[in-house]
Amino acid sequence: MTARDRALLANFYRREVAVRYLGSTTGLLWALVHPLVLLGVYHFVFTTIFRATGFAGESFLAFVAVALWPWLAAQEALQRGTVAMGNYAGMIRKVAFPHELAVYASVGATFTLQLAGYVVVLIVLAVAGQGIHLAGLVVAIPVWAVVCVAVTGVALALAALQVFIRDIEHILMPVLMIVMYLTPILYPLTLVPASVRPWVAANPFAWMAGRLRDALLDGHLALHPGDAAAAVVALILFAAGRAVFRRLSPHFEDFV
Amino acid sequence: MTLLALAAVGKDYARVKPRGGRVRLVWDLLHERAAKDVFRALDGVSFAIERGESLGVIGENGAGKSTLLKIIAGVIKPTRGTVESNGRVGALLELGSGFHPEYTGLANIDLAAALLGLAPSEIAASRERIIDFAGLGEHIREPIKHYSSGMVVRLGFAVATALAPDILITDEVLAVGDESFQKKCIAWMERYLAEGGTLLFCSHSMFHVQKLCSHAMWLKDGCVERYGISADVTRDYLAYHEEKEARAKEGVPRARAESAGWYAVQRLALDADCVEQGADLTIDGEVYAPDDRAPVVVIGVVRADGTPVFGVTSDMDRVALRDAGDHRWMFRMTLTRLPLQPGRYAIRAHAADPEGVRVFDHVERTLTVRGETRELGLVHLRHRWHDEVER
Repeated sequence: MTARDRALLANFYRREVAVRYLGSTTGLLWALVHPLVLLGVYHFVFTTIFRATGFAGESFLAFVAVALWPWLAAQEALQRGTVAMGNYAGMIRKVAFPHELAVYASVGATFTLQLAGYVVVLIVLAVAGQGIHLAGLVVAIPVWAVVCVAVTGVALALAALQVFIRDIEHILMPVLMIVMYLTPILYPLTLVPASVRPWVAANPFAWMAGRLRDALLDGHLALHPGDAAAAVVALILFAAGRAVFRRLSPHFEDFV
Repeated sequence: MTLLALAAVGKDYARVKPRGGRVRLVWDLLHERAAKDVFRALDGVSFAIERGESLGVIGENGAGKSTLLKIIAGVIKPTRGTVESNGRVGALLELGSGFHPEYTGLANIDLAAALLGLAPSEIAASRERIIDFAGLGEHIREPIKHYSSGMVVRLGFAVATALAPDILITDEVLAVGDESFQKKCIAWMERYLAEGGTLLFCSHSMFHVQKLCSHAMWLKDGCVERYGISADVTRDYLAYHEEKEARAKEGVPRARAESAGWYAVQRLALDADCVEQGADLTIDGEVYAPDDRAPVVVIGVVRADGTPVFGVTSDMDRVALRDAGDHRWMFRMTLTRLPLQPGRYAIRAHAADPEGVRVFDHVERTLTVRGETRELGLVHLRHRWHDEVER
């Protein structure tokens, strides 16, 4: 990346953070309030209405919070990344710059802000005695990084396709909804019937949820054998997404 | 030093069918296959610009001007050919230089700097100048999505100019600014050119092209129709429009062949399609007469748009056409020391009956008059001043 591209990325990133969160009146607050409200609703539905059990003695709040934030970050990053080319349409039509920078800025800004919210919530939960091992962040943050790399790759591909096929944006929402319920975020993997468990466990987000709970709830800091595989998968997704993006990006100007 | 060189540059745009066409297109692009159904926006464009030169790009809407400028600015890659550029290109394309609508004017100044690889601190000095040149007052702190198109152009021009580009590309910027801002821009461009700047200027105003550009290129249907000294190219371009309008008006009947039973011009030839102002022009022709009486020929000179300049008939001058046998009658005349101003004209010949009353068909040949004069109007009138000539 040239010095000019770095300066440009820094500029985009700053603006993504500023315009999107600080610029609006609800602002940064909303980035924190939205997951908190969701967490509250899930807590009410699952512990008060369904009286769900089987969280291995851990508090439901801590159990869900640990995996919900990175999922929301991934979901939001995919949605924002997908429409990034549309948001930068004016520039794409008039200036020469690497279009992928817009996706990086979009995804990067989303992850940064959600990670900040995550750390705040974990500290609050730890102080409130919900059994959070803050030392687990040593593992949790690299896990976020792996998810971020993978999501960036997928977002690059979706962003490029969205330029040509406008339905992507609309298909994405229900797809994300389905993936969320198929991911052990609101429930532990142990509750899944053994016959389908391998399928659910194969979901990359299941790896993410499992590793975060392992580190933050149980305080296990050791590396798992699956970690290397996850990192490789993330890099492959990134490389593939970028390849798709680079093939299509010379033609954006005409369609964006 | 050659600042910019284009060699056989062409650009195709894929034509997409409404249903499913886009999915198919994406599939083709991903497999690096060229789209099958394409529109040739630009083809075989080659030229070079030296430092300090300025080129005006003219042409009708859809001729490929913007596509060309975008290729030079690097916004799109050409489908064919190569572009070689040895300098910093500042571009103002289709209003504004790539602004982000959500950003304020100030933030867009920083963005423009970042696009050139400059840190905000590096343009601190220029920032004041940009704000001053744009003259937007407090609006500079508002997101530019609230700006009028004129305001966007003001800011765009201010930004593009303050960052000292080696080549400045402007696409119809002057069309939207108000009178005083236009003057400011023209003054700036003239100074920029005087200081050795290079300008690539796209405009529908031939006046501005002539004023600012040494060379001009006329694009027609994606190809270079003419490239040369801006005065010549703009003149031809205007003549083309005049002709087009004239044709639209009357649907000019072109040389009609034999029309039995009627008097008809069979042949009309000029000794040159293109003459210098003040030179002689000889017109040769042949008229068909259905009977054995000598017909009359009417010779007319009209400007390309159809404005009559001069007309004379053979019977006015008591000239008889020469009988060449077989109902053919020949004529030959010379217009001496042609006083026509440089531009495009047509020489017309009409066949008339021997009484010179009924005029039949009409055949015309185009004529270009060249010259360096700066006089106005259709013809040069001989004149003499009674005052002292300035030394």
